[in-house]
Amino acid sequence: MYKNSFRTISMLLIAFIFIGMSSFDKESELIYKCMIQMTNYTGEKAYVAVSLINPEGNYEKTMYIQGDDKEWFPDLKNWWRFTNSSNENLDAISGATIGNGERNIISLSFKPSQIDTGYKVRFESAVENQEYYSIDAEVDLNTATLRNKVEGKGYIRYIRMVPNK
Amino acid sequence: MIISVWRYSHLLFAIVSSVFLLVASVTGIVLAVEPISKKMHSYHVSEADTLSLAKTLQNLNAKHKEILGISRDRNGFVSVSVIDEGIKNEFYIDPTTGDKLGNIIEKHPVFQFATNLHRSLFLKSTGRFLIGLASFLLILISISGIVLIAKRQGGYKQFFAPVVRENFSQFHHVVYARFTLIPLLVLSITGVYLSLLRFDILPEPQTSLVVDFDAIQEDPIKEYTAFAFFQNTPLKDLRELEYPFSEFVEDYYIIRLKNKELYLNQVTGEVLAEENIHPIQIISSWATVMHTGEGSILWSIVLGLGSLAIPFLTITGFIVYFKRPKTKIRNKLSKNESNYVILVGTEGGTTLQYAKELHDKLLANGLKSHLALMNEYSYYKKMEHLIIITATYGQGEAPATANKFIELLQKKQQKQAFNFSVVGFGSTAYPNYCHFAYESHKALLAMNNSTTRQDVFTVNDQSFEAFNDWCHKWSESIGIRIKVEKPKLNTNTIPPSTFKVIDKQENKKDNTFLLSFKNLNGTKSQSGDLLSVIPTKGNQERLYSIGKLDKETLVVSIRRHEKGLCSNFLYQLEQGDKLSASVINNKSFHFPEKAKKCILIATGTGIGPFLGMINENIKKREIHLYWGARTSDSYSLYKNYIENAIKEDRLTCFKPAFSRNQTEKLYVQHLIKYDQELFVEVLKNKGCIMICGSIAMQKAILKELKSLCEEYLGKDLSHYQNRNQIKMDCY
Repeated sequence: MYKNSFRTISMLLIAFIFIGMSSFDKESELIYKCMIQMTNYTGEKAYVAVSLINPEGNYEKTMYIQGDDKEWFPDLKNWWRFTNSSNENLDAISGATIGNGERNIISLSFKPSQIDTGYKVRFESAVENQEYYSIDAEVDLNTATLRNKVEGKGYIRYIRMVPNK
Repeated sequence: MIISVWRYSHLLFAIVSSVFLLVASVTGIVLAVEPISKKMHSYHVSEADTLSLAKTLQNLNAKHKEILGISRDRNGFVSVSVIDEGIKNEFYIDPTTGDKLGNIIEKHPVFQFATNLHRSLFLKSTGRFLIGLASFLLILISISGIVLIAKRQGGYKQFFAPVVRENFSQFHHVVYARFTLIPLLVLSITGVYLSLLRFDILPEPQTSLVVDFDAIQEDPIKEYTAFAFFQNTPLKDLRELEYPFSEFVEDYYIIRLKNKELYLNQVTGEVLAEENIHPIQIISSWATVMHTGEGSILWSIVLGLGSLAIPFLTITGFIVYFKRPKTKIRNKLSKNESNYVILVGTEGGTTLQYAKELHDKLLANGLKSHLALMNEYSYYKKMEHLIIITATYGQGEAPATANKFIELLQKKQQKQAFNFSVVGFGSTAYPNYCHFAYESHKALLAMNNSTTRQDVFTVNDQSFEAFNDWCHKWSESIGIRIKVEKPKLNTNTIPPSTFKVIDKQENKKDNTFLLSFKNLNGTKSQSGDLLSVIPTKGNQERLYSIGKLDKETLVVSIRRHEKGLCSNFLYQLEQGDKLSASVINNKSFHFPEKAKKCILIATGTGIGPFLGMINENIKKREIHLYWGARTSDSYSLYKNYIENAIKEDRLTCFKPAFSRNQTEKLYVQHLIKYDQELFVEVLKNKGCIMICGSIAMQKAILKELKSLCEEYLGKDLSHYQNRNQIKMDCY
């Protein structure tokens, strides 16, 4: 009897751990809606790379690439140097370019370990035959300030992020 | 080479832009398929068009947790973008239920490739500039083309009148250009417009709505379904709707309709800002639709056909250009030292070659001759003889190099008296034969000190013999003898081969005879081709129509003229004699391969080629032969051939007209009236009428046929001529 209940409890425990882990795993992805608002610059549509930057200041991974023609990717020099050597699959995380004055809303997912630990999201931008901004805007993954509007320096007017519903 | 400014620019622009236009048109044909294939998807729910935005949003919100926006494209397909499990997704939906209909149609790599090539030739900005420039040149080519067609047709009113057929390339270049002008102009103008937008030369105004954030109200709170704007706006007016970014009142709905853009307070439903879309944006949107065919299968097809026309028009256009003979005018003597002035009116340049031949021969005879274009008419201090050699263009107009001649004549009266002659080049096949030559003659007669000894002399179908004949008579009239040589035109002459006379039949009463030859060299020939015979060295060639009796036997029907050099030369040939002659391909007078019914009309020895055609009619197609001669005696020479053919079903019927058998003259053209039903039927059912014999007979027959066409078929005779249903070989 004792043995049995021990067994049941241990089984339940294992089951809980599993369920807990899996639900924990699901919870672990923090999803944010992110708005990229462009300025009223003149020229072609802008290419924007969104990358996760680790506390050491290095590229960790590409989160999103706004631009549908690979021909122009190398214009985003720093990001291209990283992604070109790291074999990322960009197809799933690329979207159409947008023009001046327009805005694009994208979805970004983070692990809890990346929040409040010095990670940043970097937005770099380039426009055909115009200047390249290696850091157009950068958002600290800091719970206190995450919801604040971050002004851009180049083609991006500002970045806004809110948690997903 | 003589060309008007329009023609020159038409050609120049085509040369400059041809490569780019070819690339753009071929990719354009591919791209015309894209909107069609897109429209084929049935993602358009037509009941949803009248749905209000309030209802649409309600349906969608019930099915999807996090919607970013809704858009409706030119095909009427409604799509949403949503965030689902952290992933942004976009797909077509049914607005009445909110259910997904299908994934966003991705641009096929072929279309992506074609688009890039079409827009920029893979050369980025340089390529875009080149394509834009080519598009601009296409506008100029189209406009100069319109002017050229109008000139050729004799005015804008006759723009769509039947085109005079000279050859395949010329005919189809004009005919297809007329049909594709509209799509080509639309494509090129919108193409330039889009390029200008792309290079920011045309400003593209942005709607810049300003929201007064201090005045944003947070009450009264309303459900979005109760917003008046959402309730009153049908889905079909929507272009795009963006949901508020967050739930703060500072974030609002952004809505773009067909004609305006507005922001809507997400709490109260109040309009925060509103602006009509700038006309330039509406024009740009139209230009895009017109250029791409997006949203319309029919227009896409029209554009595709327009694109298809570009390679065709480019190729036929260049063929027309390269086929045109090029002759340059060089004068040794100035206009004021010459006694003989030859003025030429020509469009293509063929007429000029004949004039140049005469000019050269005059110089060779030590006469002072000056050659110029009719539009260069001026004062000629020593001119004694003025010779006008002119073609007629289109429907009786002056050719490009003579269009100012009559005006110039009236302005510039010569100081001394002079003699003039007019030679007109033309084709009796078309109305207003040599019309401009007659006009020039009239204008010259009206001058103060001009005299002439002859009426206008006409040359049909560039007949060298006729021209030679005139040169002969004219030179005699001025007391010299000149012998012109045939200029090398674009005829396919085969080197001479040897023929052996195998039979000779004679009708002494009628002065006609039939010669049968055996071809010893194996030169290929067909009934209707011409046998070029040069009686003795240095003499002019004479042409005889060939009838082919079998693989190696040719028959030629000849009338013997008392002083005729060539006919007497041939007459003295006996069985077994050998003759050196060449065969000239006469493609326009070959027996049609496809026509089910044919009518052959001949007078006198013109029956020659038809004897061959009838003999070769092994398939027993319906052939009706009409033949005109003076008396029934003339028939004896051909009797055997005709009677055998009827017996063997190679000839359906034979109808002769003997003009002198009865008191009332009966000519072959009179027979047309009796059998008009047959003639109408043959023309209607794509049959063929072939005419061989004298020019006078040809004129009379064409006149009859013309009135038949107008009365019973409602079409001009030229309609059938252009379709090769009427073939002629007359002299």
